[in-house]
Amino acid sequence: MQGLIEQLLNGIAMGSIYALVTLGLALVYGIMRILHVAHAAVYTVGAYAGLYIFHGTGNLFLAFIGAMVLCAIMGIIIERFLYYPLMKYPPFVPLIGSITVLLAIEEVCRLVAGPYIITFPAKLPFPEAHIGGIFISSTLMAVYCITASVLFILWYITTKTSLGLAMRATSQDISMASATGINSHMIVSITFIIGSAIAAIAGILVGIYYNQVYPTMGTVPAYKTLALIVVGGLGSVPGAVVASLLLGIGETILIGYANIPLPRDALAFIAMIGVLMWRSEGIMGSSR
Amino acid sequence: MKYVKFFFFFLLVGFLLSGGLYANDTIKIGLLVPLTGPAAADGFSAHSSVKLALERVNSTGGLLGKKVELIAYDDRADGKEAVALARKLIEQDKVVAVVGGSYSTPSRAVAPIFQEEKIPFVAAYAVHPDITKAGDYCFRNGFLGTVEGKSAAYVAVKMLKAKRIALLVSDNDFGRTLAEGFKYYMNKYAKGIATIVSEQAYPFQEKDFKAYLTKIKQENPDLIFASGYYFQTGPIVKQAREMGINAHILGEEGADSPKLLEIAGPSAEGFVIVTNLNRDDKRKEVQQFLKTYEERFKIQPDMVGASAYDAFMIICDSIKRAKSTKGPDIRNAIANIKNYDALTGQIKSFVKGEVVKDVQVQIVKNGRFRYLGVVTDPELITP
Repeated sequence: MQGLIEQLLNGIAMGSIYALVTLGLALVYGIMRILHVAHAAVYTVGAYAGLYIFHGTGNLFLAFIGAMVLCAIMGIIIERFLYYPLMKYPPFVPLIGSITVLLAIEEVCRLVAGPYIITFPAKLPFPEAHIGGIFISSTLMAVYCITASVLFILWYITTKTSLGLAMRATSQDISMASATGINSHMIVSITFIIGSAIAAIAGILVGIYYNQVYPTMGTVPAYKTLALIVVGGLGSVPGAVVASLLLGIGETILIGYANIPLPRDALAFIAMIGVLMWRSEGIMGSSR
Repeated sequence: MKYVKFFFFFLLVGFLLSGGLYANDTIKIGLLVPLTGPAAADGFSAHSSVKLALERVNSTGGLLGKKVELIAYDDRADGKEAVALARKLIEQDKVVAVVGGSYSTPSRAVAPIFQEEKIPFVAAYAVHPDITKAGDYCFRNGFLGTVEGKSAAYVAVKMLKAKRIALLVSDNDFGRTLAEGFKYYMNKYAKGIATIVSEQAYPFQEKDFKAYLTKIKQENPDLIFASGYYFQTGPIVKQAREMGINAHILGEEGADSPKLLEIAGPSAEGFVIVTNLNRDDKRKEVQQFLKTYEERFKIQPDMVGASAYDAFMIICDSIKRAKSTKGPDIRNAIANIKNYDALTGQIKSFVKGEVVKDVQVQIVKNGRFRYLGVVTDPELITP
């Protein structure tokens, strides 16, 4: 029983990290209908930026803020100069552009920071917990708390503010939203800012959690998040979060209890195929 | 105008001639290394070490009165990429021999190509059996995966006295081959002495090992054998210690990297590996290499670099002894090596392309790999 609870806690942590990376992708897809693969590159840059600022200032809070600002700027640049001009083409054109940007940024990171794994020796100031025989380390606690706060803030913005209303309107229909006086291009940019800033948080968190920052750290998230937004329902933010958490838990249970030689990465894609076959709108999506 | 044209023509001819002369003046040796992508750190180590070896050869007069030229290409540890570059090395660059400074997957893809063209190919540290099975032009200076796996099991059972062993295997050519060797030893020599209590394979890009380790913790083993690279074994060591697992953790040459020490941090103390390089080797050349490398590249040298250095030097030494740059002559010279003093220990000989030498056992003490022991049993180290 204790083993199961520990595995569940591991799974929730993994799912939380997936959720933080997937959020940006789900937001962007929801509003632009573009598979923003380059989001994984933003996440990588966030990790590097956080690392360098942390080394320079020794202040983790500044590292988070600095990386979020930098990633937000990067998000706007990608949106203005890559996706916006390509919007008039079929969806695979921006997708190809996006993949190109992902690879290019990975290589730039390698050129600037070197091919090595760089360690991120920061301590997140969160308490440890002993509940019964179960031990929750401070890094696990940090992952839970930070993810929960990000989700809460995002939920608040999208449901309780007029900005959120505009975002939801734009995601339903860009031209209709513009017709009602919403500056939809501005809303698109804001979406990129929010998604990219969350990616920066995810990058730093992953860097500290695994003590590794390296140029290709975005590769696995790049394809796994694609499966996740399909499973969650394309463009559905709550769906993406639920799918991420379920995947994290599913993967740890698979590793911990099923003795089948199935690589864990397969699970996301099996879920994706299942969803496409039986419930193509995803677990939370509506069949628009 | 006419003069200008003439001038350019003259220049062109000059370039062509000088290029031709230059090409004839050097002995070209190829190198395939992963300089970008996930294996880039190992590629950097191999490439840098071979450059040191090249400088050494050229500063002592080169080979057969000619300078040696290194043609290095980035294969990104990718099989398809490596095949194209192998063709380029053969057809465009016309190299006389090639150092395989990359991982198992690309190396086993290119070995048959060099075999067919009769160009000697020395894999520096890739472990997969297929590389040398490609034919008699393919050699390996590192250990065959199964040799290293067997040696690791020997270290686990005989040196560290483990009774209950958990395997945590990297799911690729490298990790699988090592685990096979490990299990072979356990079945043949350790029946009734030690048992394997669990075996799990994890995907190449895995970062979070907590789920695997939670399972291992329940089995309560006294040793975990982790067959993977430093970027996999490093997090395993760190996360295991964070979770309060006190069992010995045994790795192998893939974990032989200063980066492992950095990733695992203080948790790395007491971590044991079987590998190719003994940092406490008393020989002057070894200490010289370790010192020069660290001074020049600002990072601790590792087994990958030392093995690539050796592979390059083995080729150079063989060209010297063969007094020829023809493929078959170099091949015969490599095959006839006896008691060659390499950085990674004395090479007794090559058997079917496989190196025969002692397997080193190192332990982390005060943030550095140090000597713990050596496996010399011919039954284990002969492929």
